Amino acid sequence: MMDEKRKIKILITKVGLDGHDRGAKVVATLLKEAGMEVIYLGMYQMPEGIVQVAADEDVDVIGLSYLSGEHLIFTPKIVELIKENDLDDVLLIAGGTFPPEDIPTLKDMGIDEVFRAGSLTQSIIQYIRDNVRE
Amino acid sequence: MESEKESKSSDPKEYKWDAYLKSYYDKPSSVKSWSGYELKGIFNPDDTKDQDYDHSISDAGTYPFTRGIHPNMFRGRYWTRREVVGIGSPSDTNERLRFCFENGGSGLNTIADVTNEMGLDADHPWAADEVGLTGVNVTSIRDMESLTEGIPLDKVSWSVITATPAAAANMSQYIAVAQNRGYDLSALRGSIQNDPIHARYCGFRPASPLDLSIKLGSDIIEYCSRNLPKWYHTTVNMYDLREQGITAPQEVAFGFGIAMCYIDELIRRGVDIDAFAPRISFYVSCHVDIFEEVSKIRAARRMWAKIMKEKYGAKNPASMHFRFAVHTAGCSLVPQQPLNNIVRISYEALAAVLAGVQSLHCCSYDEPICLPTEKGHLQALRTQQILAYETGVTNVADPLGGSYYVENFTDKIEEESLKIMKQVEELGGMEEAIRTEWLDRELEAAALERQKELDNGDKLVVGVNAFTSSEEKTTPLGVQRVQKQSAIEQIAGVKDLKENRDMHRLKEAIKRLRDDVGEGKNVIPAMVEATKAFGTTGELIGTVREAMGYSYDCMNIIESPFD
Repeated sequence: MMDEKRKIKILITKVGLDGHDRGAKVVATLLKEAGMEVIYLGMYQMPEGIVQVAADEDVDVIGLSYLSGEHLIFTPKIVELIKENDLDDVLLIAGGTFPPEDIPTLKDMGIDEVFRAGSLTQSIIQYIRDNVRE
Repeated sequence: MESEKESKSSDPKEYKWDAYLKSYYDKPSSVKSWSGYELKGIFNPDDTKDQDYDHSISDAGTYPFTRGIHPNMFRGRYWTRREVVGIGSPSDTNERLRFCFENGGSGLNTIADVTNEMGLDADHPWAADEVGLTGVNVTSIRDMESLTEGIPLDKVSWSVITATPAAAANMSQYIAVAQNRGYDLSALRGSIQNDPIHARYCGFRPASPLDLSIKLGSDIIEYCSRNLPKWYHTTVNMYDLREQGITAPQEVAFGFGIAMCYIDELIRRGVDIDAFAPRISFYVSCHVDIFEEVSKIRAARRMWAKIMKEKYGAKNPASMHFRFAVHTAGCSLVPQQPLNNIVRISYEALAAVLAGVQSLHCCSYDEPICLPTEKGHLQALRTQQILAYETGVTNVADPLGGSYYVENFTDKIEEESLKIMKQVEELGGMEEAIRTEWLDRELEAAALERQKELDNGDKLVVGVNAFTSSEEKTTPLGVQRVQKQSAIEQIAGVKDLKENRDMHRLKEAIKRLRDDVGEGKNVIPAMVEATKAFGTTGELIGTVREAMGYSYDCMNIIESPFD
């Protein structure tokens, strides 16, 4: 568990061209309301830019929002860039629309936890608080 | 002896009877409608006593069309059973289309992928990884040829779902293919979504600047009104707005506000209202609260008739018809316990039919999981067919008309929608409400509220915050994947086309397109010509963008290949 005094810093972003951002925006707002520092990158973000901001801002968590089936394409690129930038201590989570069959695949790729559509906010907050690395 | 053992182990003291008793005595924790209306336990004649049947309700087929736009409704013809299809390459999509109509689908319905909606060619650097993931990319006339291969365009009704300014390119490609195949344009039946204003709220903002949206949206309406008399030239997409989490009356008010932006532009151009209004249609959501949705649609029909007659002076009754397609609410579906979605979709489709729908797309149960599988598509189509052919709900027009509750609810939704429309008017009209991002704030606030309702249990969704069970490891009818090979082949095809076309002919066509924008002409004729010269979606839209003062490429990566 992390020092309660320091705010958890999380980057939330869409990846690629997909524009279904309702979920990402809602989660960003609710995590902010829960006391976290949220950097919301919004739409049209590519792996390079996402990891660059994560490094510059020294975030604790990266939250990737997917809907259109591009999770299997972009996730390995993001994980590779995270390793290249020595950001291994960053908690990497994904939210959105995925077939359940892909969840083990995403975890093998390096995603720490997956929150599918229909996840309650409390479950996301709890997971982050319990698992964020010091 | 087995039963003795069992009865021994099910000691009444050990069993959790508290849960049983709670369930037995359980009652609704909320008596609000989905949109938040506090409802009485019963409605009676007092709730409808101020209504004048002839004036504000009236039989189906008569003004103000509250009960339906046709006197005989489904006795004349069922609604069009139209499942949205868009997957992989144009030929993959063609294959799934055939599957749908070979199984009794009565309308063809194809959706552009995110790259096409953004106006990007398949070979654009941003497109490479996403071609065909969420729909079909139509880059050139060749793609439109593959998409429509073997389908008689003068016989079928085709719904082309491209909403953004790229609709102008896709419409031109459809027209060009039809002409090349020798069809008379006046024989073409179908619709194009063509609602570029709303597209900014669906993730396509860079591709949809407001003035460009109004220009190209109105060009399609004007061109089709003159040349494709059977074609529905715009389908105002209230559905996508509703998917952001707004309420039923907001859906109507915002949708009508956007529709009026196009109408006002056509009137500014001097086009008579009755020359184009009969071919305006709407794309409407049906959420899971059956009576609210039916009331919403009845209210919308009455409101639209009055707006067209009183505000715009329409004289042709067809101009006053609120014609609509329904897409059952994707946002009401959840991946948890996914087979339950079939039930949700059935209720939503029932609402659409009870409300007198013209064309229906039932979501597939796997909508919150992946693109529809073939089995998912077929099941969705069967849902429509059971509704149409088994249940008898089609026998009588507006079966809920005259219900104290529904008539009262129809009035309430009309009143609330009109109140919101007045608010928009006071803000300076819908264009201004969009420019100042007032509408963005409304949508975002609604989305947040919906999640909070779910988090705190104000709204219950089985599998999410009620009657939960452990997460499934697999999807019941399998997962739809898009073959990477389809995208690779399409991209190669586009590159090949670009290398082997007659650049001189294309440059001439692009010059005419640019000039026509400059001179304020309708761009569709020049786009059709450029399409026939193998100009691509990105090139056509990019040329118009540049001529209107925007970057050629909405992602700011590539430059125009033309001088």
